Amino acid sequence: MPGKEFLAASDLNIIITAILIGTFARIITLKEDFRQYPSYPNGYLIHLITGFVSASLGSVALPALLSKNFIAVTFLSLAIQQFRDVRKMEKESLMDLEETEYTYRGKAYIDGIAKTFEARNYFSLVVALVTSITIKIVPFKGWVGIIIGIAVGLLLLFLLVRISKGKTIGDIAQVKTGKIEVKGSELFVDGMFITNQLGSDQAQKLFKEEGMAVVITPNENHFRINLENFGQRQAVLFEATRTLGLKRYHFTRRDFENGKVVVALVPIKKDMDAFIEVVKKCPLLESVKKPNSVMKTNLKGR
Amino acid sequence: MGRESKINPKYDILAVITLNKDRVLSGKPLTLLAQNEEEQKEMTADIAKALKAEIVRMKTNDFLIIRE
Repeated sequence: MPGKEFLAASDLNIIITAILIGTFARIITLKEDFRQYPSYPNGYLIHLITGFVSASLGSVALPALLSKNFIAVTFLSLAIQQFRDVRKMEKESLMDLEETEYTYRGKAYIDGIAKTFEARNYFSLVVALVTSITIKIVPFKGWVGIIIGIAVGLLLLFLLVRISKGKTIGDIAQVKTGKIEVKGSELFVDGMFITNQLGSDQAQKLFKEEGMAVVITPNENHFRINLENFGQRQAVLFEATRTLGLKRYHFTRRDFENGKVVVALVPIKKDMDAFIEVVKKCPLLESVKKPNSVMKTNLKGR
Repeated sequence: MGRESKINPKYDILAVITLNKDRVLSGKPLTLLAQNEEEQKEMTADIAKALKAEIVRMKTNDFLIIRE
């Protein structure tokens, strides 16, 4: 039709391939792991759709630029806004759920989760963008070019996943079973005082028979900065109660002398191995991370 | 129970159940005088159950019912 411009077949191939790889990047990173989040179909759908949209934005950027449609490239700024909305949406959603959980996730943990969701949308965008650029610039056309583009996109995805992978409690500390002792109305774990809130006989019996505790010992003294952070301890407790359930009572306590952190609770499912495993796998919060090497660096020259 | 809900949890003392009438003073928390230890435990448990609160047994053998 005169006056109308259509996409060339080669551009269409680039865009479709990049969208598929970008969306695949979001699917791969939307894993349901031991934290069981998100574990509901609607949550999956929301994140897959936003991943698809971000992949689309990344994939059309190059063809738009090459067709001298510079305004279309400003869509990338729209993407940034969209990703920020993803973070905000995730944050609001988790904050709304706070009152319904066994224990609070805490603001620090929610902030970390929301940022991760935002970052994973950038994965989709960047992977789609790089895939489309690769297909366009490689000297091979047709299927060979597309396969090379897919390979580069997947390699980039692998690197991004590796780079963004955070550390866990198990990387910086030893997690061991704590010995529970109830003396009158006081609870002790490995000789450390935890609470005196076991005032009734029923509470004492419950903790003696069904209580569980773990002791987290940092590998290095400076790891105490992470472990003793309130948000971090709250995240540990949240993951433990989410995995094991909570019948009654939950406590964490710090030992100021040796930096040990105790988590004690009465779970629904009494599984000590699962308790230790979930504490070990609890992520170190980004907002808490203080790399020792950076702390030591004399950046200001003083 | 909610030690982790805030950095500095603020507990309210809802009731004090004692065996010593000299410790029954006026004030905000309800203070009850029990006749014997068994009655004291029963009263404490009943109030704590109704208010979904925690029980602290003091070394003086008085019971506190507290809630965050």
